Amino acid sequence: MKQHKTQVVSSGAMQIAQADQRAKQLRKQAGAWLKELRARAGLSQIQLAEALGFKYYTFISQVENGFGRVPTESLEGWARALGIDPSSFTRKLLSFYDPELHRLLFEVKR
Amino acid sequence: MNVVKFPHVPQASQGWQPVELQQFLSMSSNVIATGEASSWDVGVTERGDPQFFLVGPPPDCDCILSISRLGRLFVIEDGAGRVLVESNNPMLLAEQAVAALRRRKVAIVARVALAWGALREFFEEKTDAMLGEPIELLTHIAPQFAPLA
Repeated sequence: MKQHKTQVVSSGAMQIAQADQRAKQLRKQAGAWLKELRARAGLSQIQLAEALGFKYYTFISQVENGFGRVPTESLEGWARALGIDPSSFTRKLLSFYDPELHRLLFEVKR
Repeated sequence: MNVVKFPHVPQASQGWQPVELQQFLSMSSNVIATGEASSWDVGVTERGDPQFFLVGPPPDCDCILSISRLGRLFVIEDGAGRVLVESNNPMLLAEQAVAALRRRKVAIVARVALAWGALREFFEEKTDAMLGEPIELLTHIAPQFAPLA
């Protein structure tokens, strides 16, 4: 019984670790996608930071490196600066930042 | 607003110096031990400026603090790109980073206190209304029971 409990706990911990790893992986993918969009728009990190009203360009790098996420309140600004429709931009980012919510909103059929 | 463009100073090493990393690691180990952060990592900007990232607890694992070195200036930002500290004194940097984290914690506590205050006010309004009636009723009935006591 005790051994079974230990196995359940360790398998639960492993699942959490895997979920964390997956979240980090998706954040990296989001960063790579944003970097690609910026390159396609012909902008440097400095130019994008300028367009978004940041004092430094370091936050752009934070997001592109997959550590930060685009804040909800500035999603539209990022989309417009990158020359992409805000709605599809947000939908795509949601698939990286919150895949379960994205699945429920856009993939599950009624 | 103009983004500050720093002259690209050629250096022997573009990355973090061991002494700088040592400072960040000692700061990180404290916040990781308390569970405020889960890990740390390093990266570079497009221009090769070194960055240090402190990653928050799971499940979000969001960046809670980033330290960047732009030329001689160190910039500490939170996970939403808000500049918390700008300093050209690397010796004070870890201290300032810890202070920034503490302020962040204080901000969270302040938000919780505000929410708690609003909730309490809401409940007080409701319970006052609910309690008002029975207390009034009790003051009318109680004297009638007094002879039985």
